[in-house]
Amino acid sequence: MATRLMFENSCEVGVFSKLTNAYCLVAIGGSESFYSVFESELAGVIPVVKTSIGGTRIIGRLCAGNRNGLLLPHTTTDQELQHLRNGLPDQVVVQRVEERLSALGNCIACNDHVALAHTDLDKETEELIADVLGVEVFRQTIAGNILVGSYCALSNRGGLVHPHTSIEDMDELSTLLQVPLVAGTVNRGSEVIAAGMTVNDWTAFCGSDTTATELSVVESVFKLRESQPSSIADEKRKSLIDAYV
Amino acid sequence: MPRRPRRHTQQLKARPLTFSRFSRSIAQMASTSKSNKKSYPSFAVSKSSTHHPGNGFAGRTLEEKTKQSESSDEEFEEGVVQADFSFFDPKPGDFHGVKNLLQTYMGDKQWDLSGFVDLILEQTTVGTVVKVEDDEDEGLFAVVTALNLSRYREQKCIVELKDFLLKVCKEKGTSYQLKLILGEQAHGVGLLVSQRVVNLPLQLLPHLYDALFDEVSWATEDEPTEELRNSFKFTHYIIYSKIYKHKNAEQNRKLNNDDDAIIYIKPEDELFHKLSSWFFCFPLQTSQPETRELKNCRSMGLVMAVEADKIPTFRQELRSLISEP
Repeated sequence: MATRLMFENSCEVGVFSKLTNAYCLVAIGGSESFYSVFESELAGVIPVVKTSIGGTRIIGRLCAGNRNGLLLPHTTTDQELQHLRNGLPDQVVVQRVEERLSALGNCIACNDHVALAHTDLDKETEELIADVLGVEVFRQTIAGNILVGSYCALSNRGGLVHPHTSIEDMDELSTLLQVPLVAGTVNRGSEVIAAGMTVNDWTAFCGSDTTATELSVVESVFKLRESQPSSIADEKRKSLIDAYV
Repeated sequence: MPRRPRRHTQQLKARPLTFSRFSRSIAQMASTSKSNKKSYPSFAVSKSSTHHPGNGFAGRTLEEKTKQSESSDEEFEEGVVQADFSFFDPKPGDFHGVKNLLQTYMGDKQWDLSGFVDLILEQTTVGTVVKVEDDEDEGLFAVVTALNLSRYREQKCIVELKDFLLKVCKEKGTSYQLKLILGEQAHGVGLLVSQRVVNLPLQLLPHLYDALFDEVSWATEDEPTEELRNSFKFTHYIIYSKIYKHKNAEQNRKLNNDDDAIIYIKPEDELFHKLSSWFFCFPLQTSQPETRELKNCRSMGLVMAVEADKIPTFRQELRSLISEP
């Protein structure tokens, strides 16, 4: 089920939170209602960890992760790193990355099997992504934008991309990612998808400006309508191409 | 009576200009009169109106799209930017721009900001947004409007705003006035909302406020229904804006002279303050970073009520204030 919420009057929920199948990170300093929305959906299933990264609250855009691991920028302090290692489940590998492009959330879009990376990412970083996150990495652009992490929201069941993505691009991406893709917007026409929402296999959180139409598109492409969290959620990769337009 | 065409053009010679951060902050923060006025870049101001008066007014001009672009001496010094600003009626596409400008309207408090922005955009007859002509990004630079508190009293955002103002008013006398204005007298009260980017050239201000008050008076004649016409016959305007007060001044109660201690973010607030029938201040929590110049100042909210009769005086004073060389 998709939920609408706000962080301190901002509808950019994907900036202040990071949701994966194994854990959820939220920024500190928000109101209690912000946490309670996450906790009511996720409590008991996956841990919800309050944190900052490099002293900032824009954690969703600075880190990239999935159920296997979490990559943090070099600006992360040692205390934050330790706090995250303590709070996250043991099977999640937490790794700090020495990379010039430090907004990893903007540069990397990933699910549990495959990742899209910024074209200018270092070779070492690409190897680290493949290693820590256990994914296959593809350097791609989305609608001509190199910040793939910003313009695409990805889960194991579907993906939402920038509204101006062409059909050929979507077909190509869909083949690489092996999930159905839809071009759309969140937060009443905002093109920066990943800043406006955050998603995993059974739930999504969108900014409160998201219209009912946008929300229904999110629910249908990520297949959230009748999903339940499952501890054995390990999707086999589909060998058939499935692209919705 | 045909409506006069709304065309505002202004010609200024481009003269050397320094846009240093210091001079900018002086121009904006200090009480206006004494500061060393620098000259401004040349620009043209034009109003594109797409007014559609009601059915009963077929005789009037329906649409006016007048525009005059001014290309002056191309003296491109460092920091000089040529811009053609245009005034438009609010439309639904302006949602994100207006929302950005009004993000800090109630400080950090969570309220129905989207609903408030929707109200402003729906009211196309009174209200103006300022954009740059032919800008593809559609960046919004300013928004100004007047909302009748009684007409929108059911709306969640207006209810929240009223509750907020009633809660922060700590002074007994003004609290009673405030209750009246928000309650019984609300049918004649307009909430004046005016927000803009910090470095908008001040020469636009007289035109902006002229546009607003002219639209209000035209709406009292043009609106299709009697009820709507009456809703624009404002007796009072209520204005909620932000100011800075010197921290030391609070301790010096003997000094009754408040004016020196207050730094107005918008110069027209000082004029409104002088002309207001009553006002009150309250401390405001903001997460705005403190600049060096503002280190000794507290951020405060200022709510004032100005009678509609005082508006012509205001317009005149604003014009003379801005056009001072």
